Parts: sequence; structure tokens; C-alpha cells
Amino acid sequence: MPERFSDFVAVVMGALALGYLVFEIDRRRRKLHDVFDVLDADDANITARLEGMVDSGELQPYAGATLA
Amino acid sequence: MSRSSRGSESSRRPRAAAGASGPIKAQAKPSEPRGVEIASKTENDYATPRFRIFIIDSGWNSAAHQVLQENFGLIRDLQKEDPIYVLSKEQSIELIRHHQDRIGREPLIAVHDLAAMDRSGTAGFHGFRLHLGLMRTPQQALLALQNFARFLSTHRHSADLEAEIRTDLRREGLAGAIEIILHHEAREIGG
Repeated sequence: MPERFSDFVAVVMGALALGYLVFEIDRRRRKLHDVFDVLDADDANITARLEGMVDSGELQPYAGATLA
Repeated sequence: MSRSSRGSESSRRPRAAAGASGPIKAQAKPSEPRGVEIASKTENDYATPRFRIFIIDSGWNSAAHQVLQENFGLIRDLQKEDPIYVLSKEQSIELIRHHQDRIGREPLIAVHDLAAMDRSGTAGFHGFRLHLGLMRTPQQALLALQNFARFLSTHRHSADLEAEIRTDLRREGLAGAIEIILHHEAREIGG
């Protein structure tokens, strides 16, 4: 019986460790994508807006040395 | 969000790159010029830009904002081939008002890949972006900015930028997993 119980505890602990690992990897992956990601169809609106500002002359390439 | 907007592709590439000549638009000044020198370039002054870089910053008093202010000159010097468009505080706020999910994530640096946009507009991959405002410490923000500048420079001539970005993101994810397994300290960026 003690052997069975220790086996049971080992399995549970192993499952918890694996679960934590998966959770942590997923959390970091989501964080990374939050910070840096590709622009795709979901960003089409804001992209079109920015491109429109360039096309209309509202925005010009910035030649200043600093952002004051 | 709309998935159909493709923008006006005709003016995306500077005429020089497209084989035509002449200015592409009137010389309108920015509504609120920033910096010590007024913008005087047009896209024609850039030989063959691959990217258009946009900086959107509504002005939160944050570490990321400070780091961007202090290092902008260096970023600009490193990216001389590509035009950088800096939205004024008012323009940034107006834009963010229509995209509330970005609030608190600025400074936001969006990079439009002109090559990808020429191929498929904005329907699919068309660039990448950095939410610098998510970096909470100056060290994190500076590291993110440096990584971003390095990425821009090293991938400027990439034939398939999307694939390279996704590969890099996968590699970062894998590196994070290995670190967790090895019980290393949290990574400086995204940690």
C-alpha cells in the first residue's frame, strides 16, 4: 500500500510539474506576441489609417534629431 | 476589425523605387513638428525603402516613453534607408481613441513592409509591430528597442520576412521553454 501511495503521489506531482511547464511556456509565448508580433488582417484598420495619413501628406518622414 | 482595407497601393512605393519620377505628394508640414529640425525629406530622398516606420506615442509618462525619447536619434541613424513617421501627441491620441485596445501599450512602433503590401495589401502579413509600452523598466524597454533595431537591420533584405519573423518567434518560445526547464532566471524581455 505505501508503495502504491508513493506511486500515486509521484504521478500527481509529475502531472502538476508538466501542467506548470505548459502554463508557463504558454504565458511567455502570449507575452512575447503581445510585445512583438506581425501585422496581419487584424491590423488592417490601423495600417490603412497610417498609410492614409502618409498619402494625404498629413505625415511626412521625420528628419528631426530628437523627439522633443 | 475590418479585414478588407488594403489602403491605396499606388503611393506605397516611392516613385524612385517604382521607376517613375517627381514628388509623390505636396510638402505639407506635420501638424505638430517634433524635434530640433523640421522634417524636410520626402520619400524620394530614400533610395529604395523597404519599410515605413511609424511611431505612435500618446505621451504616457513611462519608462518606455523616456527610453524612446533618449534613443530616437540613434534609431533614426541606424535606419537611414527607411522613412520614419512620428505622429504628434494629438495624432497619436486620435488614432488610439479609435483603437482602444492599444491604450497603455504605446509607444507603439509599427513597421509596414512595402514589399508585402505591394503583393497583398493589408489582407495578410504586411509588417510587424512593437508595443514598447508593455516594457515596465528602462532596461527592458532599451533591450526591446535594441532587439527591434537589430531585427530591422538584419532582415531588411529578406525575401520572406513573415517566415523569418515567425521562425524567430518560435525560436524565442523554444528558448523560453528551455530556460524554464533549466530553471533559469526569467528572461529580461517578456519575462
